Amino acid sequence: MESYDVVVIGAGNGGLTASATLAQKGLKVLLLERHNIPGGCATSFCRGRFEFEVALHQLSGVGTPESPGPLRMMFSQLGILEELELVEIKDLYHVIGPGDFRIDLKPDREQVVAAFQEKFPDEKDGIERFFNLSYQYAFQMLSAFYFKDPDPSREKFPLLYQYSFKTAQEVLDDFFRDPLLKCALSLYWGFLGLPPSRLSFAYLALLFFTYIELKPFHIKGGSQTLSNVLIQRFLSQGGTVRFGCGAEKILVGQGRVSGVITESGDQIKTGYVISNISPVATYTSLIDPENVPERVFQEMRGRSLSPSAFTLFIGFDREAHELGLTGSMTFFPNHTDITDKNLVDMQRLEMAHPFMAMSCYDLADPGFSPPGTCQASVVTLKYGEPWMRVAPAQYHQEKFRCAEAMLQRLDAAFPGIRGHIEEIEVATPLTHMRYLGHPNGAIYGFEQYTKDSMFFQPGRTSPVGGLSFASGWMGDCGFQPTLQAGVSAARAIIRELEGK
Amino acid sequence: MNKEIFKEFDGYSKVVEERDYSRKYGLDYSAPKDSADSFIQRLHPKRLNLRVSEIIPETPMAKTLRLVSPDRCLPPFLAGQYVALFLEVNGIRTSRPYSLSSPPNQTGYYDLTVRRVEGGLVSNYLLDDLKRGGFLQSSGPEGHFYFNPLFHDRTMVLLAGGSGITPFMSMIREVVECGLDREIFLFYGNRNLQEAIFHNTLQDLSGRFTNFYYVPVIEDPPEGYRGQTGLISGTLIKNTLGRLANKTFYLCGPQAMYDYCSSELEGLEIPRRKIRKEVYGPPNDITRAPNWPVEISREQRFQITIKGRESIEVKAVEPLAASLEKREILLPTICRSGECSQCRVKILSGKVYQPAGALVRRSDRRFGYVHACVSYPLEDLEIMV
Repeated sequence: MESYDVVVIGAGNGGLTASATLAQKGLKVLLLERHNIPGGCATSFCRGRFEFEVALHQLSGVGTPESPGPLRMMFSQLGILEELELVEIKDLYHVIGPGDFRIDLKPDREQVVAAFQEKFPDEKDGIERFFNLSYQYAFQMLSAFYFKDPDPSREKFPLLYQYSFKTAQEVLDDFFRDPLLKCALSLYWGFLGLPPSRLSFAYLALLFFTYIELKPFHIKGGSQTLSNVLIQRFLSQGGTVRFGCGAEKILVGQGRVSGVITESGDQIKTGYVISNISPVATYTSLIDPENVPERVFQEMRGRSLSPSAFTLFIGFDREAHELGLTGSMTFFPNHTDITDKNLVDMQRLEMAHPFMAMSCYDLADPGFSPPGTCQASVVTLKYGEPWMRVAPAQYHQEKFRCAEAMLQRLDAAFPGIRGHIEEIEVATPLTHMRYLGHPNGAIYGFEQYTKDSMFFQPGRTSPVGGLSFASGWMGDCGFQPTLQAGVSAARAIIRELEGK
Repeated sequence: MNKEIFKEFDGYSKVVEERDYSRKYGLDYSAPKDSADSFIQRLHPKRLNLRVSEIIPETPMAKTLRLVSPDRCLPPFLAGQYVALFLEVNGIRTSRPYSLSSPPNQTGYYDLTVRRVEGGLVSNYLLDDLKRGGFLQSSGPEGHFYFNPLFHDRTMVLLAGGSGITPFMSMIREVVECGLDREIFLFYGNRNLQEAIFHNTLQDLSGRFTNFYYVPVIEDPPEGYRGQTGLISGTLIKNTLGRLANKTFYLCGPQAMYDYCSSELEGLEIPRRKIRKEVYGPPNDITRAPNWPVEISREQRFQITIKGRESIEVKAVEPLAASLEKREILLPTICRSGECSQCRVKILSGKVYQPAGALVRRSDRRFGYVHACVSYPLEDLEIMV
């Protein structure tokens, strides 16, 4: 029987960095990926002369070479920094709408504050104070948890104690009167999947802080390049990867992982499994029910599935500037509501008031699409459940109907842009369900309500010995957190093995 | 940090209360109904079991296989899409893509229309050996060659060559049978009229429906033939259509037809975004493809070592995927045209030839991944499957 120190299930961000970290340590690792390509969300696909980026909009945590962030340091430790071309994105985000409203934000605190103050002169003071609070909150958070203050207290970190369990909306309501300002300040909620009425203020503050201080980044060639670089590193360190081959079963004996059976029927002996797939699939499809402790499902019961996405991947036969595209990241709010109303919108097929965002990668990386062309991905968040109720025979029609509504909004913002579409592909929540295997196509795993996020996250461990998780399901979601989750899961195993 | 300070944060007890309520009234994830994979099978089955319910002769060279599902509803598709058949012929397990020729509004069966390919392993099996009542296995519907209402024009100009008519037959039937607000011009090139699949049906439809125009184009016309002859030229297209604006062009046929028609459309200054091309398998004779190295002959053979497994000898002019399946190394290829990327393999050493048009990701190119269905060895190779 084949035997490995660790079997990693899934070559998504967490699975890739976990595998690379373990192989670097000289461990014998088998990485199973049921698709023919690594990456999970961090992937691309080709249509005509375009290669479309699937998921990465703004990579956080990279930092500049002079003041590197955690992700740059991680790439360096994994020995892949030289293999990646990391391009600093010069925009924070642009806002188009509602109505005539426009604002262009750069990843520069002074510029952001000044831009908002110019648009909202009556709330000048509040804007200054809001960013002070966000920054100070982020500092206190980092001091207490990232730099692990030995003796934290309310006196030392008053904002941390006061604000950690407030929602973004509570704070915005305290600081501002104009609903448009509150809306424009909280558009990053789309990156986390919960509207400001539910999103922790902590996340909003940390997002502003990291994106402004460490800058948003693009990876030349897209996120697929990162995935391929990680696989290459893994292979060159002696790792084994099987594409087109998922896991069929995790074998458990006496409360511990003892092996894995692959989809092609091979039985593998191993003491450790890192699951980069959803805990739902891990516990219901891969492990026999008698080996799953009841508390696993009890703990999961409280959680809800995050929204999925509805995305248009569009290739244009003109360059970005010819189409009037100027922002690499643009939000298109068509109302100023930051309440739970957004949750209701996400639970409907209806496209009347969805959150909508667009990335145009060519503006950050001019060689991203072929000369004379550019591409954009236009995305809105939608829960998967309503899509699962669409009859299969109605599916294509519904998909085109919703896409049409989004295209009309895009064309209203950039008149005539529709006339230059050369390729278009539409991904619905069911598409994400198909390729990620996530229940309901949830792109952000479980939802990050305060009761489920940060301090209340279940973490990577499992009551099944030798099993751990590395994904956005068990911690924060997004590229930076999931890439880091893989390294953490791998290091925990390394520590355990070295301790033996 | 020893103490869990977050328990002292303002609002902690309320958060815990909310969490406990959620756990009390929450979802039971242990129920197997939540499996994403089983749900998605309704739209994108990994495999479909199909039974041949009828075999309909079309021309001396072609038959339509009418396929029904013994165990499920057939998944929906868009007119123009294909399925891959997975089958074993003469001891070789292989696959072939076939466009569906029945329209999507016909939900009871899928029609595949198969034309004989000289020396073709699979087409001859399907035409000669497969009987009514026989079983086939296929992929779900795949492919990107369909009318896209988001940006295609309501006037469709279809350029077909030979068996390239099959996806168009589905499109035409859907438009006329469902009374869709579209207009179709079909140019259909064949060597002679006897080879033109669906010729009578097409003529009949063009007589009955004012939004469907049928122009057969015959390469070797018999004496006194009065229809269009020669190839589907730019002049013919221009003269038939008059105005060229607001029309989307669709091409499906053999490589020679693509090469010819593409340059004709270019001559008419049809913008690239208005031209859709179906992928159509590897070329019959790769040695005639552009930039094929002259020193490599049709008889040339090379050694391929599959990492961790055996070493095999293969023909240079045969796509890697085909050579591998003859040795029972199966890649799950669906399109066999370089598009679906299911047969992605890594070249560890050695050079391969890839004809233009294979949709290989940039970072895959950088690290030596190729799509084996349209890759040809130019020297001895080591590959990772």
